[in-house]
Amino acid sequence: MSDEKLEIINPPNALKQKVGTGGPGAVDLEALERAEQVIAGMTDSYLEWVVEDLKKIEAAYNALASASGDGREEMQAVFQVAHDIKGQGGSFGYDMMTAIGNELCRFIEKSKKSGPGEIEAIKLHVDSMKLVIAEDIQGNGGKQGEQMLAGLQKVCDKLIS
Amino acid sequence: MAGFDIQNIKFLVVDDDANMRQLLRTILSSLGVKDIETVSGADPGFAMLGNFQADIAICDLVMQPLDGIEFTRMVRNNADSPNCYLPIIMLTGHAEITAVQKARDAGIHEFMSKPVSPEKLYSKIHNIIETPRVFVRSSDYFGPDRRRRQDPKFKGPERRRNA
Repeated sequence: MSDEKLEIINPPNALKQKVGTGGPGAVDLEALERAEQVIAGMTDSYLEWVVEDLKKIEAAYNALASASGDGREEMQAVFQVAHDIKGQGGSFGYDMMTAIGNELCRFIEKSKKSGPGEIEAIKLHVDSMKLVIAEDIQGNGGKQGEQMLAGLQKVCDKLIS
Repeated sequence: MAGFDIQNIKFLVVDDDANMRQLLRTILSSLGVKDIETVSGADPGFAMLGNFQADIAICDLVMQPLDGIEFTRMVRNNADSPNCYLPIIMLTGHAEITAVQKARDAGIHEFMSKPVSPEKLYSKIHNIIETPRVFVRSSDYFGPDRRRRQDPKFKGPERRRNA
């Protein structure tokens, strides 16, 4: 395929004209720090969002636990909420929510079925997320966080290996 | 990293998670951006581009019913795309190689893993401004040049030399 035609295009660059360098509006370290503070100030909003997400993931889990078919669609619904939870936690200092959400997403992706073991493993993840918020475990959760994640990983590894 | 004043850049945020849309809007506003539109999916995102001349789009990878890859393909390849060169930052919780490759092959500019932060997002915006990418069109790809660096170990055909 070395003789395949390849066209190189220099697109019009309107961005450079719209952007200034330096000056009072420039994004410097101080501006980034201020922005970080604004996000930190949204933690109360995050805690309201995550309570709603936990209700959603619990409802999705209940639907999976009582599913009559192969449960793939219901697993996918759990995945969607876990994905949202995973995406937000770390932005607000709740790194454990991101870590557990990540673990749950990967587990669902790798699971080939939704048997009793898989459903139980999903419940463990959902309960762990609820615990992190109930006990306000921020950051990586220290020793408790480490043990929680190691336990979840062990359960998942057993089921997917 | 030179500090850019980005207040006049127009951003389109495409994410099916309302909370993420709010978070991204807040981050962009706190970086000085004034003109931000947010939409909940790929189709409304593409439609929005007809009315809102975004300079940069930030798009989530995992969305229902159409994902961020579909959005990127629409922007790059649809005959009625208002701006096929639109820089796209793909946001995802899936920092896996396959997801990166898929997003890259659809024609994104930057890939940003969640959780997002002002610093992470600004560094992607900075890259887009500082290093404009040339586009390439081949029989199976249209988008920003996927080879950003010269790789001395590259063994493939040197098609760029003949372009």
